[in-house]
Amino acid sequence: MSETATFEPKIVAYVCNWCTYLGADLAGTTRLEYPPNVRIVRLPCTGRIDFNLIVKAFEIGADAVLVSGCHPGDCHYTAGNYHARRRWILFRELLDTMGFDLRRIHFTWISAAEGRKWQQVVTEITEQTRKLGPYTDLYAAGAFKDVPPPVSNRNGLKSFAAETELREHCRKLLAEGAVKVVIGYGAGGPVVVTKPEDADRLVWNNRCYPNLTAYLKRKEIKALGKPAVVVKPCDEKSLVVLEKESQLERKDIHVIGMGCEGVGEPKCAWCQARTPRFADVSLGQPVGPEPPSSPSPNRFAALMAMSPAERMAFWASEFERCVKCYACRQVCPMCYCERCIVERNRPIEIDPAPSAKGNFAWQIARAFHLAGRCVGCGECSRACPAGIDLALLNISLHIAAQKNFGFEAGVDPKADAVIGSYALQDKEDFIR
Amino acid sequence: MSEIISQNALRMLAAEWLAGGKAVAGPVRIKPDLVLYRALRSADDLLLEEFQRPPNSIKEFLFPKAEKLYGYRVRGNSIELVESDAQERVQILIAARPCDAAALPILDHVFNWDFKDEFYNRRRAATTVITLACNAHDESCFCTSVGLGPASERGSDAMLFDLGAGRYEVRCLTDKGRALFSGKTEKSDQVGNVPAGPEKKFDSETIRTFVTEHFEDPFWKEHALTCMGCGTCAFSCPTCHCFDIVDAGPAAGNARVRTWDSCQFATFTVHASGHNPRPAQHARQRQRILHKFAIYPEKFGEILCTGCGNCTRNCPIGLGVLSVATEIDHG
Repeated sequence: MSETATFEPKIVAYVCNWCTYLGADLAGTTRLEYPPNVRIVRLPCTGRIDFNLIVKAFEIGADAVLVSGCHPGDCHYTAGNYHARRRWILFRELLDTMGFDLRRIHFTWISAAEGRKWQQVVTEITEQTRKLGPYTDLYAAGAFKDVPPPVSNRNGLKSFAAETELREHCRKLLAEGAVKVVIGYGAGGPVVVTKPEDADRLVWNNRCYPNLTAYLKRKEIKALGKPAVVVKPCDEKSLVVLEKESQLERKDIHVIGMGCEGVGEPKCAWCQARTPRFADVSLGQPVGPEPPSSPSPNRFAALMAMSPAERMAFWASEFERCVKCYACRQVCPMCYCERCIVERNRPIEIDPAPSAKGNFAWQIARAFHLAGRCVGCGECSRACPAGIDLALLNISLHIAAQKNFGFEAGVDPKADAVIGSYALQDKEDFIR
Repeated sequence: MSEIISQNALRMLAAEWLAGGKAVAGPVRIKPDLVLYRALRSADDLLLEEFQRPPNSIKEFLFPKAEKLYGYRVRGNSIELVESDAQERVQILIAARPCDAAALPILDHVFNWDFKDEFYNRRRAATTVITLACNAHDESCFCTSVGLGPASERGSDAMLFDLGAGRYEVRCLTDKGRALFSGKTEKSDQVGNVPAGPEKKFDSETIRTFVTEHFEDPFWKEHALTCMGCGTCAFSCPTCHCFDIVDAGPAAGNARVRTWDSCQFATFTVHASGHNPRPAQHARQRQRILHKFAIYPEKFGEILCTGCGNCTRNCPIGLGVLSVATEIDHG
């Protein structure tokens, strides 16, 4: 017999305890027959279904995954399924960007009374998956079209006029004791200045790349006392998110916003945020983005123009270079967990080895933990020693949040976070 | 008299090695601004000009970032171990920089000290290293400060000197090198020369004295304040060799795997009790410098650094051996 003739799809179903599990149970007690290909994993609520579980199921050999819970309005915990819906909307977009075969990921609402719907759904999914065959494309290398690399426009060192003003301001802050420490840019990289006489070490020029708000999370910096932080208007958005997430009290930080002339990073080519909006003090004159000499290639559009299998091959080829140095995580102002999910080893959640599976799992977790939180500072891409364009994953979720929920991270301090809130009218077209 | 080879002949030679089933690796342009040492798929991939210093190092061809040590099968209550069946291919590393090649004799010590690491040794024995002497250096290079230079022969089996016009002088330094080039070169009286390397940027003895005598110096805390705590410095370093051993579960094929680890990670030293003897970033930064300039030299008689500058060059914020050492030496 040939391979296909003997192929029995393995389907993992994550179901909620209160509706779909009872629906499946009802199908059994009413003697409704359905294919035995589905392995049911019962969880308290769809709101509890960790997105990593979907990925994990594929990793250990599932050919399709079904996630199912209570109909909107029926949640045993009032709103767990609304939260889940929001997360799925975004997560599905990320999986699409990474080239997962969305025909193998199913979402349904099945109530405790819908034994027949469970029977239908499982039968249909099994048949459909049988036709698709085994999921051999997962993390598979292969041919793909080129995605244009991000274009940096780094020129010779050019100091900006506000440098003197910046030094004066910081000298005064430190001398008067208004702050204990200034986190700013120095000639060789970021500097932490604690004495007024050292304020001359500060620079403001076209090499001020890092997002210094990432330092606000560090224990060693917090221990020094009230900080002033020098921010570019793009980096300033991080503060909005961090405050929203109760990671900092805005009044405990003195924010020095710099009118920006651009630092030649890929993001600068289209940046509109050249004027600080939330800073305690704004220095320098913003200069709008220079029209690029040649139109900047749309990397994301080029990626999405490929077929899913090609997209996966693209990422497999990118991640193959990943050494898991975690520079992407360390430079990110939003990655402030005391213990990262990838460091949990009892049990291991994400394969810590820089293998194909380990690298995909890590980047999926990183990107999705930043969904609706990433402000697009692009530090992850800049820091990556393997030149992986990680920002593309964040761009995918940024676009998804904007498209589906009209949300942009770091813009409106009053707006609710995308994940952690929900709306009854959230729209999707993939849950049956 | 010297031996020379044209770039075309060199490429044809590489193609011949590939066709003969040998693994060949060298600098490859991955993106317009990214060149990495990679396994060559074809000899055309090989980049011999217009690159400075790849952000990775050739150590990954001897000490891979993830290496299966053995597999296991779980059967009921018993576990059966399955030997790794990896077969070592003969491997040629071409156009490595001298600061990469020099790292190999340094690594040999640590992989053959109290325990002979068969995985490393097997690969090492199957590997021939052809270096390309440096015609240029950048602001992060400091080989001359650790006793090496743009044409150091240490660790190389053969060395190439760019003579311009697509010609290279070949200096075979070991039998392995001679075996590759014998009969493939032409006689010439042109001799390869390289410009002087970077100026000496610090005195390594001063660094050794400082790190051994100033363990509690406030310098460490001040210097490490901006360190982000990633592992880029260690992973792009040709000599850093710390590893972790993890059990990759069923999703990764039931294997015990050796992966790179970095002393800059908080989890590197954390004990099962939760106690961490290096609880802050400055202690981890200090450890890296201490290991390179004092601990390793004490044990093996040489500095654990070849001055390639990769740590500083690749650090997201420009820290690294160079920035620490120059600050110690020049205050």
